[in-house]
Parts: sequence; C-alpha cells; structure tokens
Amino acid sequence: MKQDKKMIVCFLAPLMIFFVGLYIYPIVRTIIMSFYHVEAISDPISTWSFVGLYNFKELLNTTIFRQSMINMIKIWLMGGVAVMFFAILFAVILTSGVKAKNFYRAVIYIPNIVNAVAISTMWINFVYNKRFGLLHTFFKWIGANNLAKMDYMNGTAKFYSLLVAFCFGSVGYFMLIVMSGIEQLPGDMYEAATIDGATKPKQFRYITLPLLNGVLKTCLTFWTIAVIGFFVWSQMWSAPLPSDVATITPVVYMYNLAFGSLANAARDGGMAAAVGVLMTLVVLVVFQVLNLIFKKDDVEI
Amino acid sequence: MKKKRMSSEARKQLRLLPGHIIVGIWCAFTLLMLLWIVCASLSTSPEIMKGQAMLFKSGLHFDNYVRAWSLNSISTYFMNSLVYGLISMVASVLISAPAAYVLARCVFKGNTTIKSSFVVAMSIPQIMIVMPLFSAAVRTGLSNSKIVLLILYTGMALPYTTTFLTAFFTNQSKVYEEAAAIDGATPMQTFWKIMFPLAQPGLVTVSIFNFMNVWNEYFLSMIFASSQKTMTVGPGLKSVLTAMQYTGDWGGLFAAVVIVFLPTLLIFIFLSRTIINGITAGGIKG
Repeated sequence: MKQDKKMIVCFLAPLMIFFVGLYIYPIVRTIIMSFYHVEAISDPISTWSFVGLYNFKELLNTTIFRQSMINMIKIWLMGGVAVMFFAILFAVILTSGVKAKNFYRAVIYIPNIVNAVAISTMWINFVYNKRFGLLHTFFKWIGANNLAKMDYMNGTAKFYSLLVAFCFGSVGYFMLIVMSGIEQLPGDMYEAATIDGATKPKQFRYITLPLLNGVLKTCLTFWTIAVIGFFVWSQMWSAPLPSDVATITPVVYMYNLAFGSLANAARDGGMAAAVGVLMTLVVLVVFQVLNLIFKKDDVEI
Repeated sequence: MKKKRMSSEARKQLRLLPGHIIVGIWCAFTLLMLLWIVCASLSTSPEIMKGQAMLFKSGLHFDNYVRAWSLNSISTYFMNSLVYGLISMVASVLISAPAAYVLARCVFKGNTTIKSSFVVAMSIPQIMIVMPLFSAAVRTGLSNSKIVLLILYTGMALPYTTTFLTAFFTNQSKVYEEAAAIDGATPMQTFWKIMFPLAQPGLVTVSIFNFMNVWNEYFLSMIFASSQKTMTVGPGLKSVLTAMQYTGDWGGLFAAVVIVFLPTLLIFIFLSRTIINGITAGGIKG
C-alpha cells in the first residue's frame, strides 16, 4: 500500500504542476484581472486599480465588440446548420455501404490536417481571386459577366466567403463523429425491434434518433468550442490589416486589446480579460442549454 | 440472359449512385484545390495571373521552392515547428502516461475530480489563459526563447493526452500487472517495464495527433513568438505571404504554402486510419 501511495504522488505530480501552472493559475488571474483597470498585461499587480464591473459595461457598449459578437453568432448559427447538415448527410452516405468509403472519408477530412494559413491561402487564391479564381473563371465561362466581376474579399461577400471556406473544412471532423456514432449502433437491436413488431419509421424514431441525439450534442459542443476560438481565419481574411469589422471575432478583438495591434484602440488588459470571462460564460451557458435540450432520449455511446 | 444478371454488389453501388455523386463532387473539389496549389507552386507569376497555372507552358519551375525555402526564412519556421512538435510530443506523453495509468488503475480521493477537470480544461477558451502566461514569460525574461512555446505546447496537449490514455489503460487487461506482482516487481517498475511498452499503439496515436496539432497551431505562436527565431510555420507562413504579395512572387508564395502543408499531409496519407480512429475514440469520450 505504501508503494501505491508513492506511485500515485510521483506519477501525478508533474502533470498537476503543469495543470496548476498553465490552467488554474492563469484562469484565476484572468478572472481577477477583468475587475481591474490594467493597462499593459505585464504590469505588476500593484499598479492595477479596482473598477468593479466597469470593463464589462464598457465592453458591451463598444460597437466593434458588439459587431464581433454578432459575427460570432452568425458563424455559430449559419455555419452550424450547414456543417451539421453536410456532416450527417455524408455520414449517412458513407455508412450506407458505398465502395471507396475509406478514401472518401480521408479526403473529406483533409482540410482538418492542413495548416489553416495554408488552406485559407488556397481558398483566397484558387477560389475567390477576382482575376484567376475558380468562381471568376466559372462565371466568365457561362457568360455571367456581372457575377464574374464580383470581389469576394470585399463588402458583404467577404463575411460569407470566409464562412463558406471555414465550414467546408469543418465538415470532415463532425462527419467522423457522426459516422462513429452510426457505426456503433448495434445491428441486432434493429433485428430485435423487427421481431417485436416495430416498423421502420418507429425504429428510426426510437433507435436511430435518440442515438443521433447524443452524437449531435457532442458535435454542437465541439462546434461551440471551435467558433468561440475563431481567430486564424478571421486574421487571414483581414490581411494585410490585423482585423476588419466585417470578419472580426471576440478573440481577434481581445488579441488587439491585449497584445496591441497597430490598427485598433489602445491596449487594455482589464478589458481583454473581460472578453475572456464573457466568452467562458458563453461557453458555460451554451453547454447548460445543450444539456437541457438533449436530456431527453439521451443515449450513452 | 447472362448479361442481365448483374452482380448484387454492382447493383447495390448503382442504387447508391446519388450518394457517390454528392460525396464525389465534394472530394473532387478538395483534391482539385490541392492539385492547383501544387501546380501553381511550379508555375511562374504571369502564368498564374492568366489563370494558366495548370498548363506549364514554360516548364516546371522548381526554383520557386528554392526561393521560398532559402530567401523567405520558411526553412527557419519549418525547423522551429519540427523542434516544437517533436519535443512537446515526447514530453506530453512522458508526463501524461504515468498520470493516466494512476488515474485508470488506482482508487484515491479526487480521482474523478481530476479527470473531469481535464475535460473542463479542454473546453475553456484559450483567451482565458494566455494573458497571465504572457505576463509571466515577460517577467521571467524568457519571452524571446523557444522554451516558452515548448512548455505551452506540452501543457496544452496534456488534458487531451491524459484523457485519451486514461481510457486506453482502463481497457487494458490486469493480467500482466498481477503476474509482475507475483514476480516481485514494484508497481512503478511494472508500469515502466511492462504497461508503458504495452501501451504503444495508444501512445503512437496520441503522439501523431499532438504533433499535427502543434504543426497547425497559430494563436499561441502568434502571441508568444515575437521573432523569426522562435516563430512556427503558421504565423511564419502568414508573414511570408504578406511579403511575397508585395514582391509579386506568386510562384514562390504557393511553393511556401506547399512546404508548410506537405508534412502533415504526408503523415495523414500514410497513417490516415490510425489518425481517424484516434479522433473518433477521443471525440466521443470527450
């Protein structure tokens, strides 16, 4: 038994040191920071001044921050519907017994393993370039000259060109999750249901749907985490500027506040911390809501 | 008579044709995009501008790669990412595996709390933790060395690695440990000599996964790598893109893009089954 205790301590200690140092300490400090006025984030604590909820109030009254929240919600909602639709569609197709399933699955997943900077460069040039891009060439070829002149990297089109490119790459990951959910479905459950006299629609309603419910909850959880952390794509679409109102997200806004990009407002560490706390609250609220929605019919897989 | 009798497999695939078409178009587009960028990286800027990147009228221009590699410090970023990826990959497994083993096998107070706190850590936005860490890096004077990103990349991989390996060890049979105990080995010896080597499949999967994550990481590198000396391929490639757009060297630009995505693409081509199985295993549990 003594041996066991020694082992537990020795084996866990390095991990816990990292965990406390890289997660717990920074999280606590960020929460405290959000209630203080902190100019530069590396300022010592003695120079911080307590301001209560000022940072949060100020933040919610800032137009750019509000715009960044709207962009994020739009990505979550519109992108979420599109990504889940294609993920489920592809998962159903690939588990229906098509040949070359592994090939399709791997190719659809490829955008996830390629560096986001590289993949967004491909989109911006290969698809959206207004001189030699695929869309330009296509519309010119079919004679739609007005559409061919469209600039996808400016105006209202900019946000949607970003959304399409980001969602296209995300589908593969969620497809894998849905696929593994469908594949774990025990075939004999359907057999038993058929023997018991359950019709096909009933089987879908009482076996497939509850299962997809659990999978969908997992998917929405990961989708929320991905959208909250939305950063690199936004930066790529606003290049060469550090950020752009059309594509700014809270993380980009926070980055500008904390690490001072050239274009945006003055540095403000307290405000940046408040963005972090708000985003964490958003995550928690979304998770709670997902738990409530998917409580019924939930199946452990 | 014989002609009419199609094999049942062929008939099945014919019935699934709409599915083949939908998925096929999606895949064709993905592959075309990759093919185009490779072709463009071997063409000249005027050819790309005219939309003739795939025709190679003036032959293959491998010099684009030479320029991208040597003139624009892609080589530095490439080596940095390789160092970060390999070291943090090994370090995170060495730290996580023993802890995961203890969490999977030993009963003690706080076991489940620790396990669930890792799941929470995976869903906390990174903006919640970067500022105090940045401030700590500045105060310790380490902000311009590779150590900071090495520690961070190792640390960021730990919650996932531990969760993944805990599940892995939980599913392993206890027979070996019992046999080792009878032979008089201490629990710690048993772990390092028997269980750790036995866990090889799980360790390999999670290591590949961690390496690719570091290779594709952007946010942390953007914040913590202030100079070329410490920057990874993500922000590095972005700075090369900005520079090359002004010089108009499109061939070199796309060569740089190919250099950056080729390593992870090659890993994926050779190990796609391992990687995909790892993702679904971790994804469902997380």
